[in-house]
Formats: sequence, C-alpha cells, structure tokens
Amino acid sequence: MESPSPATPGVSRRTFFSGSAAVAGAGGLLIGAGGAAAAASAMAPAAAPAVDREAERAALAYPFYGEHQAGIDTPPQDHLVFTAFDVTALTAVELQLVLAKWSAAMSEMTAGSAVGKVEPSREHAIPVDTGEATDLGPQGLTLTLGFGPSLFDGRFGLEKFKPAGFTQLPAMAGESLNPAMTGGDLCIQACSNDPQVAYHAVRNLARMARTAVKTRWTVLGFGRASAGANQSTPRNLMGFKDGTRNIKEPEDFAQHVWVGDEAKQPWMAGGSYLVARKIHMMIETWDEDSIGDQQSIFGRNKLEGAPLSGVKEHDAPDFHAALAGGPADTPAIPADSHIALAAHENNGGTKILRRGYNFTDGLDSFGRLDAGLMFLSFQKDPEQFIALQRKLGGMDRLNEYIRHVGSGVFAVPGGLPAAGSYYGKEFFA
Amino acid sequence: MNTSPTFRRTAPAFAAGAVVLSLALAGCGGAASTAESAAPKGDAAPVSNGAAQITVSVEQVDGKDQCVPDFSTAPAGPVTFTISNKDASGVSEVELLSDKRILGERENIIPGLKAVNFTVTLAGGEYQLYCPGATTETKPFTVTGDAAPAAAGGVAGLLKEGTEGYAKYVSGQVDSLVLAAAALQKAVDSGDVAASQQAYAAARPFFERIEPVAESFPDLDPALDLRVADVEPGAEWTGFHPLEEDLFEAKAITEKSKALAAGIVKNVGTLKTLTAELEYKPEELANGASGLLEEVQSSKITGEEEAYSKLDLVDFAANVEGSQQAFEYLKPALKEIDATLTEQIATQFETVTTALADYKDPAALGGWKPYTEELKKTDAAKLTQLIQALQAPLAKISEKVATV
Repeated sequence: MESPSPATPGVSRRTFFSGSAAVAGAGGLLIGAGGAAAAASAMAPAAAPAVDREAERAALAYPFYGEHQAGIDTPPQDHLVFTAFDVTALTAVELQLVLAKWSAAMSEMTAGSAVGKVEPSREHAIPVDTGEATDLGPQGLTLTLGFGPSLFDGRFGLEKFKPAGFTQLPAMAGESLNPAMTGGDLCIQACSNDPQVAYHAVRNLARMARTAVKTRWTVLGFGRASAGANQSTPRNLMGFKDGTRNIKEPEDFAQHVWVGDEAKQPWMAGGSYLVARKIHMMIETWDEDSIGDQQSIFGRNKLEGAPLSGVKEHDAPDFHAALAGGPADTPAIPADSHIALAAHENNGGTKILRRGYNFTDGLDSFGRLDAGLMFLSFQKDPEQFIALQRKLGGMDRLNEYIRHVGSGVFAVPGGLPAAGSYYGKEFFA
Repeated sequence: MNTSPTFRRTAPAFAAGAVVLSLALAGCGGAASTAESAAPKGDAAPVSNGAAQITVSVEQVDGKDQCVPDFSTAPAGPVTFTISNKDASGVSEVELLSDKRILGERENIIPGLKAVNFTVTLAGGEYQLYCPGATTETKPFTVTGDAAPAAAGGVAGLLKEGTEGYAKYVSGQVDSLVLAAAALQKAVDSGDVAASQQAYAAARPFFERIEPVAESFPDLDPALDLRVADVEPGAEWTGFHPLEEDLFEAKAITEKSKALAAGIVKNVGTLKTLTAELEYKPEELANGASGLLEEVQSSKITGEEEAYSKLDLVDFAANVEGSQQAFEYLKPALKEIDATLTEQIATQFETVTTALADYKDPAALGGWKPYTEELKKTDAAKLTQLIQALQAPLAKISEKVATV
C-alpha cells in the first residue's frame, strides 16, 4: 500500500514495510468478536534484539502521502489521542487556511519533524513548535483527519460537497450520550507508539488553529484494543481478546472499508467513514461477574480467546455447534453473545474495521473507575456500523456492563497525492 | 503568571527605534551580492506598478525545503515580494530583515495556497530574506541606490508615536486610580460598607488595565494586589484583596480595613511617581498586551482574583481593555509590518468585546455580572476559548515590533 516517501528519514522504514502489506484487520463489532478470515496470517512479530527494536520503533515513519490516509490500514500503534473539533471561524477562507496548515504540519510531524522553531533565535519570539516531541522520533505517528456532517451545514458554503447520505448517527438503544463528547466538525485520530508524540501532534494542530477551531472533546487511549495484520490480539479492559476477527486482507478493505464513488464526491475516493464511540465500562460490576457468565456474554473463553465452539483463538466460530453435554438445541455460542450478534456470518456478510483503544479518565462523578473502550471503526458506509450497533444495542448481553457515552461519525477523505495538496482543497477551488 | 519581560523600570531611550533607518543606509553594494548556486538572477529586479517585483518560491529543491527568490537585488524604493509555497511543508513564513529587525513579512505561506505579497520601501543597503524552517534559512538581499524611504520615520516613527501615546494612556489610568483610591479610603473611613464596596469596584479597573506596568515594580504589585494564596507565611497581607475580604466576606469595616485603605492610597501614589517619567519600548507594549490576557486566563476565569467580591468579570473586561489599548498604539506600525496579522488580531478583539457585552449588567456592582460559581461552571470554558483565540495571534507581535 504505502510506498516510502522522500520526505521521511526512513532508514529502517523499508524493512518495516517489506513483507507487511501494512494492512489491519477484519471484523465483527465492538469488543471481542470471532472470526475465521485472518487465521492464516502469521501473528508473531519478527524477532530482533531489544535495543534495535526500540530504535526501529522510534524511527518508524509511515508515508504521509498516498492513496489512503495512514492510520486506517496501518497496524494499530500503541497509543491514541482522538480529538474532535468545532470550527469557530465564520468564513470559508479561515477554514481553508486551517486545512492547509494542518496538512502541511501533519506531513512534517509524521516524519518526526517539528512544526516550526522550538527555540527561535529572536528573544521576543514565541516558540512555534511546543517542543515536547523533540528527539523522540516519528514513533509510527499517523494523523487521520475526518469531517463531521455538521461541517457541510452551510456555514462555509460546503453543502454541495457533502457525501451522499452523510448524516449524524441515529439515536440507538444502549446509549446515554453526553453532548459534550458527541459530534464535531472535524476530527483528528493521532496514533503513535509513544503517547507524547501523539499528544504533541494534536496539541500543536489545535494550537496553530486556535483562532478558527476549538477542541470539542478528546480521548486518550493508552493501549490498542484491536489487531492488525501480523499483530497479536490485544485485550480490552474486560480482560478479553479484542479484534481477533478484524479485517486484515486487502480484499476485505476494498469491499468493506474504502469508499469508491458511492459518496458521489471525488474527494472521498480512497477515503472511509470513521465512527467513534466512547464506551464506558462498568468495570467494578464486571469484575464481580462469574467467569462462566463473562465467557457466555462474549461467546469466547477468556485466556485463549477461543470461540466457545472451538479450541484455539483463531478457530472459526461455529454458531450451529451444540453445547457439549447441554440440553438439545442449545448452541455452544449463545445466540445473544457478543460474537454471535456481531459476526459477519449473522449479518449478511457485513464487516467493519475496528481500530479501538482502551482508555481511562480516572474516576467518574460517582466514584467509579472511568474507563472503557474508545471504539473506532472504519467502514465504506456508516450504515454498516449502524446496522450492527442497532442489533447489539438491543440484544447484546454485554450492554449490562457498558454505556455508549460519546459518539461521532466523520467522513475521512482519501489520501493526499503529494506535497502541495491539502485536505479539502476541492472545497475552495 | 510572569511571562516575558514586561515593562522595565529604567526608561530606555527610544533611540534604538531609529536603527532601521541608519542600518538601511549603511551598505551600498548591489554589485558584490550573492553568487548562490540556487541562482537568483544577478541583475536588479524589474520595476512595475511603482515597485520592484520579487517573486519568492518556497519549494523543495533536491528534496530540501528552500526559499528561492528570482532576484536578489532591487533598486531603492518600494519593493514587492510575492511569495507562494509549492510543496515545502516545513516553511510557513517569509520575512524581510534588516539585521534582526523585521521590516515586512507574511505568515501562512502554506503549500497549495495562493501567492501572497507584501511591499516595503527600502533604502540602499544589505537586507536578509529569512525563511524559518528552510534548509538555507537566510538569504542576502541587496538594495542599490540610496533613496531613503519616503515616509519620514517609517515604521520606527510610528512605533515611537505609539509608545509615547501609550505612556500618556498609562498616566491617565494612574491619575484615575489615585482619585479612585482616595474615594475608596474616604468611604472606608466613613464606615459605610455599601459605599466602600462601590468604591472598591470603581477602583479596580484602573489598576487592572495597566497591571503589567505595576507588575514591573517588584515590590509595589504584591503590596497592592496580592491574593491570599500568594502570601508568604509570616508576611503581612496588604492591598486590595484583604480589604475586599473585609468588605465582601466579613462585611465589616475595622481599624485594619482603614489601615489597608490608607496603604492602598500610599502605594498608588508611589505608582504614580514611578510611572510619571516612564518610557516604553514597543515590545513592552506587546508583551504587556499578551500578559494581560494571560492574567485573564490564570486568575480571572478561574475566579481567584476577586474571590470575595465576585468582581472577576470587572477585572476581566479591564484586562482586555488594557490589552487592546496597548495593541491599538502599536497598530499603525504593525500594519506596515504584517497587515494580515494586524487585521486578525483586530477581529479577535472585536469577537471578544462582542461576546463580553453579554455579561454587562448596569445594575450589578462594577457594571458586570457577578462571577458566581454557577456562571463559572457554565461559561468558563467558553471564556477560555475566546481569550486563547485572541492571545495566540497577539503573542506573536512582540518579536515583530521589538527594537532589538
């Protein structure tokens, strides 16, 4: 997919890319999910001495320019800063400037460069780059930009650029959304192997746009909760493997993730739709639930992550298999378990790419752990998510332990072809 | 809370402001200019529309971000620099310098956006084209001939007028503060709590508008404006805020209150003496303007400044007004240096002023709504965003007007 760009100091980059088509995975929905497709790809990361690995991780730079934005089929990095913004500017010209500035700055930061002087020579100068990412390296930083439906509401004359059918997500069961953590005109998904690098990127993007854009909500993810190609499956905060059946193959990306001309907007070609859901977990009550119940809620066992119909994590779940020693017609995987409800086999083949992260915000106002999953998914059409979530929100036994508290849907434009282009350029021609 | 150097006590002669012109007259060497490989043409730029025309392309040259002017020499007189960025994402501004002084500049020179330009009137001499972030950041630029810029004084003259105007503004505020402090003392001495509260609210804005000037006197500011949290253990707490506590919290006037009021009068008198002959540098106005907005964010929006009286919005408005005044005095010169930025700041001031109007309340003490816990809860984030959007561009002007 991504070819090395001359702007990146890519000493070790080629080695990283050779072999990995750098494609992340296929899926069911939300937490956990079961699957078959990806079982073939090897899961163990290449072995290398620890010191080299660390240096390579720091130097890892993904090309900024290409057919698709990075941060979608890029194997999930370890850390996330997700931020949604409101545009406060009143004119299209100001918005244009923000998008052009951001595009240039994103290309610099993803290559590990500062976005201006950390230490300007003139005494009275204000440092342009805030400096905290200095010398850390690019750390696999990807910055993925999305446009919310509200951006096309007419304030900037962009109605005619709105992708076909693009609207806010409908209200669904199982959510108690906080308006302060919902929506946004723009979003940035920053992912990196170093949390400070991701934080620096979003901080500086927000700063350089301060007169035109304000931060609406933000979530810091501290551990990836989905697997890409060649990655082992991580665990969510409920202790279960998450992302086992995620989309990993290019064919699945083509079929389920990348937008072609369906949006009726050339700028969306090669793009995708990002759904963001901040999902609060009732961690304390979950922790006191029995293992049997936990496993039947997910439809997988806890340690191995195998579907309850199988033995190994990547065994394809068999939703028709009967429960061994159970009453007749009792399925091994309960029909109202999370993986049964989310599986593409039971949803007309629908898959989405999950790219979520675990998060914590300390304690909530009731004194409970404020933590959960920052669910992020990419799909060719938001309807894919909506259909799955309607089903899950209504029937999923997991709902007893989760609440959707934040939400947003964003149209993610295709990648930029080369330096000199910027996101949204077509809007201002 | 303390930013960059604010106003100094010593009165610096403004002579430094003349630097622009004297430097500009220094060299005269069009001939020996550059022999750069990235080859701007050696001959002088053509003159059209009354100005020499220089086109600067910001672009990648052999994979490196560079600034490439088509000419490195121009005849004395007006010179227009037209700049566009083709594909160099590491560069976003271009300045014309005389030594370190910025004569003209454009920011937001971003790949993919249309070309922008600025025009400066230059006398013969050596200048530098400065492109921060480029692989070669500084390129020499030579002006031939000796024609002095037409406008006598130019930017330096405008800055001098601005700093002198600001000095008068400060004197005016201090004079009013002296009167208001006297009125406050009179009310306190009379024992009338309500009248004292009125007088307290009336006095505060005069101080808050010029707070950075007061802050430049290291003993005076704490004596007048220290908040209880900042009092060193064992030290005496004086000034406005212990009196505020008496008037608004205890709602009782004691002998201590009267002593506090007398202390305010004395210290305000000292402030008048100290500021009487003060001269200011342009960068001090700029830092003061930005510093006032820092004050707003760090102590007014948080409600710490007027914890007892809830007059934080009175101070807030006064800080913003003082900041705007300092900006206004710099504006004529700043327009010459960076018209776009000047316009942007002016617009942001307007936005803030308009938004603040919602908080006016003629019936309330000091003319502004009390900054209650409820109001803070609902509005603090909005106010913060407003001020941050103003401070971001405003903070940039100091280096542009600096006389060093």
